[in-house]
Amino acid sequence: MSEHWAWSEGSAMKVCFVTTGATAPFTALIESVLQTDSIKTLRKLGYTHLLVQYGSARNVFEESLKAAHSEAGDLVIAGIDFDPQGLDKQLKLVSDSKGTIISHAGSGSILAALRYQVPLIVVPNTQLLDNHQSELAIAMDKSGYLIEGQVNNISAALDRSETFRAKMTTFPPITSGKHRETKSFAAIMDETMGFLD
Amino acid sequence: MAPQLTSLYTTSFLIALFVTLLVAACLRAINILPGRTCHSAKAPRKAAPATRILIVLGSGGHTHEMFHLLRDLDTSRYTQRTYIVSGGDAFSAQRAVEFEQTLEDRASETRNKATTVRRRGTERPLCVGAEHFNIATIPRARKIHQSLLTTPFTSLVTLVSAFSPLFRSDRLHPNLPPTTPYEIAAQDLPDLIITNGPATGVIVVLAALIAKFFNLKGCSSRSKCRTIYVESFARVKTLSLSAKLLAGVVDRFLVQWEELEGEGGYVGGHAEYWGILV
Repeated sequence: MSEHWAWSEGSAMKVCFVTTGATAPFTALIESVLQTDSIKTLRKLGYTHLLVQYGSARNVFEESLKAAHSEAGDLVIAGIDFDPQGLDKQLKLVSDSKGTIISHAGSGSILAALRYQVPLIVVPNTQLLDNHQSELAIAMDKSGYLIEGQVNNISAALDRSETFRAKMTTFPPITSGKHRETKSFAAIMDETMGFLD
Repeated sequence: MAPQLTSLYTTSFLIALFVTLLVAACLRAINILPGRTCHSAKAPRKAAPATRILIVLGSGGHTHEMFHLLRDLDTSRYTQRTYIVSGGDAFSAQRAVEFEQTLEDRASETRNKATTVRRRGTERPLCVGAEHFNIATIPRARKIHQSLLTTPFTSLVTLVSAFSPLFRSDRLHPNLPPTTPYEIAAQDLPDLIITNGPATGVIVVLAALIAKFFNLKGCSSRSKCRTIYVESFARVKTLSLSAKLLAGVVDRFLVQWEELEGEGGYVGGHAEYWGILV
C-alpha cells in the first residue's frame, strides 16, 4: 500500500520512515516504534504516515502492529520488505513531506539518509557485541549531523527532531573541524598523484 | 688463490649470506616504503593522457563507503578503472557496474551542456564506458566460519591471484595490440591503488609491495602502484585490523575522525585527517 503514498505540494502529509537493516533486522527497534508511547508521540507531532522497513522480520512487524492498531487513529501504518534497489524512493518521500527518518546505526543507511537533509534519528543496537555503532552515533550527534536515539525511548528522540531540522549540520560537511583546511577525496587523489594542472 | 668450493657450504658462509641478504632486503624495504613527508614531496606534474587506478571492493559496508568516496571521480584524469571483488560477492560487482553507469550518465549530461558552452582547447575527454573499466574477481582470503588454521593457505592463493589484475586489466579486444594511450595504460601496472579496509585490500597492497620490492614491470622505478588507505567513517576511536596492518606501508593513510589523527604506523603517527570524506 505504501507504493501509492504520494506527496503533493501543500498536502498535510508528514512521513516517519523506519529502516532496520537488511541482513539482521533490528527487531527491538520495530517493536519500540510501534509501542503505544511512540505512536502517541508521532500523532502529537502531526505525523500522518509511518512506514517500517522490516526486512526479514515481517512477523515481528505484524505482531507489533496488531497491538498498535487501537492507538493509531488516523496515523497510516505500513511495512515494506528490504529493497535491494535502495531506499531512495522512501527517503525522498520523507524529505518532501518534511518528516523524519529513524534508522539502525549501520553506516550504509546513515550515509544514504544524511544526503536528504532530513532529521535523522539513529538508534544503535545495544544487543550487538563488539561493534562501533554507538561510537559512531554519539560522534555524529556531537557534530550535529543526526540525533542519537535510545531504543527504549523513541519518543524523546522524536521530540528532539522537531527543533533539530533548523539547526542540523549539512552533510557531506562543507567545512569541519576547527580552523583547519578540509579536503575532498577527489582532491586527495590528485594530490597523491601530483596532478596539479 | 680462489677459495675451495667446499668452503661455500660451511655454516659461517650461510650465516654471512643470510645476513647480507637481510641487510639488502631491509635497505630495499626502507627505499620503497613511504617516508614521513611523502605526500607533499611528490613533484607536481601534468596528468598523463591515461591513468589506471585499482579499486578494491569488499563486503557490503566497505563497498558502500567506497562509492561514496569516489562520487566526484574525474574520468578525464582517472581514465582506466579496475574494480577488484572477492569471489561470490555479486553485490560489489553489481554496485561497480551501477557506479560506472552513473559516471556515464554524468558524462553525457556534461557533453550536452558543453554544446552550449564555449569549449576550451585543452579539454580532456571524459573516459567512460566498457573500454575504460573492468571488474576482476579474486578468491576470498577467508570465508565466513573458515578455520584460522587454513586461512594462511587461502590468503596465499588470494595473493597469487592478486598479481593478475595488478599487472594488467582484462583485454576488451584480446587479439589486437594496444594502440591508444588508454589501452596501453590498461595493460600496465596501476598508477594508484585505493582500498578502505576489506581483507582483500590488505592482500592487494601486499602484492603491490612485492612488485615494488622487486621492481616488477618497473613498478618502483616508474613510481607506479601508489596506495591510499581510507579508514571506515564508522571507526571513531580505534583503528580496524586492516588499518593497523597497512598504516606503515601505504603512501596515504586517511582517517575520518579527528580523534584518530596521527594514529597507526610502525615508526610513529601517520594518519591524516581532512574531515569526513564519504
